[in-house]
Amino acid sequence: MPSATTSPSKKNAATALPVDTRRRWLRDMLLIREFEVRTMQAYQNRKIGGFCHVYIGQEAVAVGCTAAVEHKDPIITAYRDHGHALARGMEPKYCMAEMYGRIGGCAKGKGGSMHMFDKRNNMFGGHGIVGAQTALGAGLAFATKYQDEVIDEKQNTRVTLCFLGDGALNQGIFHESMNLAGLLDLPVIYIVENNGYSMGTSISRGTTMGHEITAKAAGYGMDSAVIDGMDVLNVYEGMKPLVDRCRETSRPCFVDMRTYRFKGHSMSDPRKYRTKDEEKKYESDDPIDKLANAMISDNELSQEDYDAMVKEVRKEVRDAMKWSENSPEPDVSELYKDVYVDEWGPFTGTSLPEMLKD
Amino acid sequence: MPIEITMPRLSDTMESGTILKWNVSEGDNVSSGDAVADIETDKATMEMQVYDDGTLAKILVNEGESVGVGTVIALLAEEGEDPKDAASAATGNGKKKDETAEGKDESDESAEKDDAEEKDEKQDADEAEGKKESESEQSGETIKTERRTEPKGAEQTSSGRMRISPVAQRLAADNKVDLKSIQGSGPSGRIIKRDVLKAIESGQETAAAVAPSARRDGEKPASPITRVSPVAVSDEGPGPLEARTIELSNMRQTIAKRLVESKTTIPHYQVTVTFDMDPLLELRKTLNEQLAPQRVKLSVNDFLVRACALSMHRHHEFNASWTGDGIKVHGEVNVGIAISMPAERGGGLVVATIRNADQKGLRTISADSKKLAEKARTRGLSIEEMIDSTFTLSNLGMFGVDNFTAIINPPNSAILAVGAALEKPVVRDGQLVVGHEMSGTLSCDHRIIDGAMAAEYLQTLRQFIENPGTLLV
Amino acid sequence: MSDAMREDKRVFLMGEEVAEYNGAYKVSRGMLDEFGPRRIIDTPISEGGFAGLGIGAAMHGLRPIIEFMSWSFSLVAADQILNNAPKMLYMSGGQFGCPIVFRGNNGAGGQLGSTHSWCVESLYSNVPGAKIAIPFDPYDAKGLLRTAILDPNPVFVLESERLLSIKGEVPEESYEIPFAEALIRRSGSDCTIVSFGRPLYFCLEAAEQLAKEGIDCEVIDGRTIRPLDIDTIVKSVRKTNYCVVVDQSWPFASVSSEIAAQVHMRCFDDLDNHVFRVNNDDVPAPYAYNLEQEMLPNARKIVEAVRAVTYNA
Repeated sequence: MPSATTSPSKKNAATALPVDTRRRWLRDMLLIREFEVRTMQAYQNRKIGGFCHVYIGQEAVAVGCTAAVEHKDPIITAYRDHGHALARGMEPKYCMAEMYGRIGGCAKGKGGSMHMFDKRNNMFGGHGIVGAQTALGAGLAFATKYQDEVIDEKQNTRVTLCFLGDGALNQGIFHESMNLAGLLDLPVIYIVENNGYSMGTSISRGTTMGHEITAKAAGYGMDSAVIDGMDVLNVYEGMKPLVDRCRETSRPCFVDMRTYRFKGHSMSDPRKYRTKDEEKKYESDDPIDKLANAMISDNELSQEDYDAMVKEVRKEVRDAMKWSENSPEPDVSELYKDVYVDEWGPFTGTSLPEMLKD
Repeated sequence: MPIEITMPRLSDTMESGTILKWNVSEGDNVSSGDAVADIETDKATMEMQVYDDGTLAKILVNEGESVGVGTVIALLAEEGEDPKDAASAATGNGKKKDETAEGKDESDESAEKDDAEEKDEKQDADEAEGKKESESEQSGETIKTERRTEPKGAEQTSSGRMRISPVAQRLAADNKVDLKSIQGSGPSGRIIKRDVLKAIESGQETAAAVAPSARRDGEKPASPITRVSPVAVSDEGPGPLEARTIELSNMRQTIAKRLVESKTTIPHYQVTVTFDMDPLLELRKTLNEQLAPQRVKLSVNDFLVRACALSMHRHHEFNASWTGDGIKVHGEVNVGIAISMPAERGGGLVVATIRNADQKGLRTISADSKKLAEKARTRGLSIEEMIDSTFTLSNLGMFGVDNFTAIINPPNSAILAVGAALEKPVVRDGQLVVGHEMSGTLSCDHRIIDGAMAAEYLQTLRQFIENPGTLLV
Repeated sequence: MSDAMREDKRVFLMGEEVAEYNGAYKVSRGMLDEFGPRRIIDTPISEGGFAGLGIGAAMHGLRPIIEFMSWSFSLVAADQILNNAPKMLYMSGGQFGCPIVFRGNNGAGGQLGSTHSWCVESLYSNVPGAKIAIPFDPYDAKGLLRTAILDPNPVFVLESERLLSIKGEVPEESYEIPFAEALIRRSGSDCTIVSFGRPLYFCLEAAEQLAKEGIDCEVIDGRTIRPLDIDTIVKSVRKTNYCVVVDQSWPFASVSSEIAAQVHMRCFDDLDNHVFRVNNDDVPAPYAYNLEQEMLPNARKIVEAVRAVTYNA
């Protein structure tokens, strides 16, 4: 049952995909990077409150995985969720306004950095409690399969991607979810974004079998794969067959996605637990530079095109910040809205965010 | 325009930071992502990165200095901008910058300002909360509520605390029961509902009762008169009087309060007439003889009650109340009669209500009034039996009083004070004969009743009294 | 449950021993045969897992009924049922509701010891976003459960193991019992007794005994804790001037303390005494029969409370 470790070569992937597709991924990664850099700035300028976890360094994972599935496939992740939301197609302004705590945010400013939801794009949220979303991921997969097979009486057509950090491996709920997914044949792929640290604790200090976490999957009878998450082409090539197989067989699988976060766990993390050298090494493995350089050297992209792309993305993010700045704070009446669907007592029912009204 | 680099917030709790080290000097080129300084926060030492490309034009906060989050600590000349211009642009508002560089001052100031703003906001919030509180009873802001009401409560309790349940308090207030006279039967002597109900039932005192009695105090101040009775004097001769202060009973307090209120707020005036009582006394004598086997004995007062009641049908203003913005004419004629209380029940007066007196015959009126008087003097009247009078009759005839004036019993518009039917020399058909006359003095509220109206009412009343046969039909 | 499942294919039942064993307490007897294993789903002993799975499924449009064999076991799923279910709508700014029913047995069952004797209503009703219903008899059990299944919010239905064996008239046809509508189980004029679920039997027993003493009690079945029909309670207290709340969970920060607070706020001027409460004693559930009986609310304690509150002690 333990499965083949897939790590297709970058060259094959690069040549197999249309240039436009790769340009789009490059742009998506640049957008996430720029967005997160400005998020840090906005946080430091006190525009953003609370906890804030940025995705810098891991962009290839969200972009590559999203590319490997269809839009109808549900996605759910933990609290480092801005990248997934953007990769899934949420407009940066809704994401940024959410962190600004403004009514224009994807959750009307009630969720914050850790709770990016986008119903239209089948993004079932960022979730704050480590590992809690793994059970929800199983439930999403259960629902899609149930809808297809029990209600519509057809074949299962959808796959759920459930992201988690390597820190979640040690939560009980993760194991319960894996067990149920295996037991009930749920079409869910658990993708561990293994950046080596759960907050400040390295995986070797916190997780047994941390050097080979696919062993966890074996215990639940799941196929698994190890994928280099610092290369978007590689991520896509690795994920695509897993997704296809999952859709076809309706069996869950597990991915050890090797990646690295360039920044701290959260905005107040001084990163004393790891060396500058280690950081340098990974920074030189930047997934954005990697794809850009490859495309430029293969004459698929000119330096000018790339510079223009960077500029364009900057403007898009700056506009998102401006838009967020101008979006009003939620009216106090929002306090008692969305607690219950119906109105009773002091509760005033529910309404959709602007994002879904367009 | 140079780009301002501000002290970043590097942790969720950071308010200010200290520059430990600048990793770049003025004139150095920097690009986005460079860690340009090490900053000590409340939690750790962190790198500070810049978000833009350019040349460091000016350092405004030196190593070792501490400034608040958001303070400008350096200036960056953008691409194509002369760093010197940028720097001088900085010193253009340079004074400010220097001050900033000196560190604490400005941040302290801004901190203070923040505090002040925060306070204001808090006050606003408190106020808003207060509003909300009153709007929605459901919110659980109990602590707030307590705090809010504290000053009031303190005032109230400083004058001596009374243990009483809320509903008992309300019941007592509604029925004008004086709580001080009640012994609480609940824990630690707490006055509970049962105690108040008992007090009401025993007719000990209700405002309604007291007020009418007060007005009538002319009529039957039995106890004072007893005290001054000639019997006492003749017995032992005048002994020395003892100086003392009589503690006010609840009833006495209420009488005082209600009568002062009536006399000071209602513009009283009096009109007096004399009634020829011979026909009425004769009729009464005849009737009582006939009714004796049935143990019925009509009093003069019973005739007067009916006469007063019937007169209302021609003079609605005497069955009315002043409401402040109107005159309320009542649909029922309820005549209040003052009843004196025996000394052993604490003395004082109550007013009993004879309801629908205009609809009742003399026999019924008589029965009602006897029953009420008896009950008032023994068990006490119920609230029901003391409220809703629309006109009051006060009679001191039994004490041989010639005439007197009474104080209106609010919310009535008038009160009739009658004395005894006295034997007098009268002129009948040009002859001086012996007859019986009774004086009646009507006190009226001038806001409702004018003098002529009072005279007309008395005229009607006289017709009934002097032709008492009309009272029988 | 079966009615709802026949009408709406989105409804499914999941829990420990619900299918092949016919339910640990036989609540789901015969349902596996009718609906098959795709809709009546046995789970391993994994409350956190299947509770979370249900919530995820509800987010994607299904209408799960998740059975906890006992609410005592729901505590291992607390993060899911308290953090995810009731807050999802709010966190997502109105995008994802969570129409799910959690149901199971609640309350001290009889010498089950401390960990198996939970009454979770006070603990769980502290959290906004979920609704809580407590049926009193089979008729209410059916009607309230149906309302719960149709409700677009998460609903916790707290059934009582001890009531499952009580048989009562239940109409064949479907019906709903609206939430936030308390029922006056016995009307009276001298003292209001408020309770939910099983302790109501003790309340009614106490009321009969008190009637013989001349104290005429009004017994109110709240039926739902959230939303709470405080109006019916207040109306009754305005009439009787006395109130006793009987609550089978612990007294501190409990359903009874909340109702007492609301009564004090809403009808302070109508009270002739403070609200009295009868709760579980403030100790873990003991095993020994006599101790357990002593700890639970019972008719004797209620009678004493009513006497005391009405100054008849």
